[in-house]
Amino acid sequence: MHDEKPNAKSVKLAPDRNIRGWRTAVAISQEAGRLNAVAVQRQAGKFEILWAKSCEGNQSKLGSFAAECGLPIDQPPNVSVGGGIDGDRVVVAGFNSAAVAFYRLWVPAIKEKDIEAVVRLQAETLLPLSAEQVELTWRLGRTRDGEVAVTVAAARKERLQEFVENVRGFGPAKILLDYEGIVKAWQTFFGGDLNEGDAAVVNMGARSTQVCLVEDGRLSNAAVVDIGADELLEGGGAGEQTEATEGFARDVASVLKLFGCAEPGELPVFVLSDGGDAMEGIVSSLKSAGLDARESPPLLEQLQAEGGISAEELYGYRVPIGLAMMGLEAGTELNLFEQLYRPFKEEEKKHWAYSLKAAGAIAAVTLALLVIVSYAVDAASPGAIEKRLKAAVSDADISALVQRQKLIKTVAAERPDLLEVLNYISSSGSKGILLDSVQFKKGQAVSITGQVDNPDLLYKFQESLLTKKGVKEVEIQNAAKDPKGDKFKFTITFHYKNFTKKGTGISGISGI
Amino acid sequence: MLERLSDRDKRAMKIGLICAAGVVFVWLGAKWVGHWRQARRSLAEINAKLEIIGVDKTRQTALASIVPVFEMPQKEETQKFLFRNKLNEQLKQAGINSKPLQVLPAGKPRQDGYRMLRLKCSAKCKFGQVLDFLAKLNENPYLVGVEEMRLRCDAKNREDVELDLTVSTFVR
Repeated sequence: MHDEKPNAKSVKLAPDRNIRGWRTAVAISQEAGRLNAVAVQRQAGKFEILWAKSCEGNQSKLGSFAAECGLPIDQPPNVSVGGGIDGDRVVVAGFNSAAVAFYRLWVPAIKEKDIEAVVRLQAETLLPLSAEQVELTWRLGRTRDGEVAVTVAAARKERLQEFVENVRGFGPAKILLDYEGIVKAWQTFFGGDLNEGDAAVVNMGARSTQVCLVEDGRLSNAAVVDIGADELLEGGGAGEQTEATEGFARDVASVLKLFGCAEPGELPVFVLSDGGDAMEGIVSSLKSAGLDARESPPLLEQLQAEGGISAEELYGYRVPIGLAMMGLEAGTELNLFEQLYRPFKEEEKKHWAYSLKAAGAIAAVTLALLVIVSYAVDAASPGAIEKRLKAAVSDADISALVQRQKLIKTVAAERPDLLEVLNYISSSGSKGILLDSVQFKKGQAVSITGQVDNPDLLYKFQESLLTKKGVKEVEIQNAAKDPKGDKFKFTITFHYKNFTKKGTGISGISGI
Repeated sequence: MLERLSDRDKRAMKIGLICAAGVVFVWLGAKWVGHWRQARRSLAEINAKLEIIGVDKTRQTALASIVPVFEMPQKEETQKFLFRNKLNEQLKQAGINSKPLQVLPAGKPRQDGYRMLRLKCSAKCKFGQVLDFLAKLNENPYLVGVEEMRLRCDAKNREDVELDLTVSTFVR
């Protein structure tokens, strides 16, 4: 299966079913120039490989490989199938931990939020690059003598961003370190026994070997030995001691010392194996070097697959299988991408109140309530008002009151204030003006006749009248010198409010 | 029984049920809307009544200054005497000795059903007396308004005036 050639060739091990209630994880990893992907399904505590695919390529091909694996590319977040989590399927991308530096620190057992500052301070002193260039994550481990162990993982931010750009297209729900996948695979399918306490897990690649320290079932430190299976098996048969195997054993022993082992044999070393003779030989050489090395062959009974699965196949896909297992579980992974990548599903995780459906439903209910309340108010108001009115006055009284009020308004509109008119005339005149008569009749202009010493006084009288409220159209109808005397006789007319307008007549128009 | 029905039958039944529910909904909705409209009409009528009765304070004060007292109109036979007597009393209070008051025939009924009856008076008096009379004229509860007024000053004594006045009242 892991021998598949460039153009992704798939091996279908079981029908690709996606039945609600089951959970499926699709994991894609990149190791030693190969891209591997598996779909693992969990059903009633058992695991089944649905399919596995492999092809040559580096991380820049991750997007196209994901597409070949059937994952939708560049789909918006609300797409229910494909990337991220859709209720049944979670997609996991594995980041090659060769680019990650692991550190193990001991810090005082203080509050977790305080620990963060301490860890960052300590980690930054260990990092070969400035803090701005590095992304780091950490996880608390066991506590001993008032101190707590901290596993720190750090990587260049630039490389992480590059990886994110490569995987963003298929929107994985998680981006995990592949070393964590190795540890998980060892525990689940390679006989990893957590009861035995701490252990070192050796994962052999073609050109390098990863050594992972496992404490309490979790990765707590890791290192890389630059000797891989290709070199170890080159020129030597199984079980033969060569310069390469001896060097490898020495390097592994050095790594164990780095992990804090005083003696190489005090920590069991589990070498992940495909069950072949070659691995057996490597384990023997490690044993010869004084290490407590043990072979961890695949336990095929732990995994189901239609048509069965071989030890080589399980070994070949151990990393994506381990990552897929982690995808199916909620764990405290070392997440180096926390600040750099936000999966679709997390973006979707908004409060229910922000959803369009909820808003629509609330609007509909509000509208319905508005209609009901409006109706209730309209239906109840006339009765309530009438009831209150009847409590205060009888029906007949209400009608009489309404009629009386109407009539008062009518009378007010019919009643000119003649006292006001006379006052206007009196206050507008001055010495030298003698009034002979004043005549008011509804529907006709008010008419004043009189005598004046000179026309100037008459003009002033006219202008003054015009300034009075309700007085309009003040006209001098005639002004002629009295042949019997020196005075001028005049007639002035003006309109007062609406009472003197034509058509007002007896019925009148509102003067207020 | 439902299990025996084909998918098509089930679909047809569903559509039928939805249509039936729709018919019931429309029927009930129409009744409801009708009832609502009726309620709104009643409310509008009551509000109109309340608006007539319950004028705001400012308007009430303005009305009271123009019509401080008011009696609802009576039948013509009653109203004309009431009005005449009150007017006569007001003239006397002002010191005006008028000629006998002349009742003019009532006009045609107005839109509100009332007719207007006019009363004419003529008198010779002082200008000050006219002012006193006009100042208290609004206190006549039967008065509608002054329809016509003519004041002519005496050429020799300008304080003396001839007054011709026509005032009106409503009669039923």
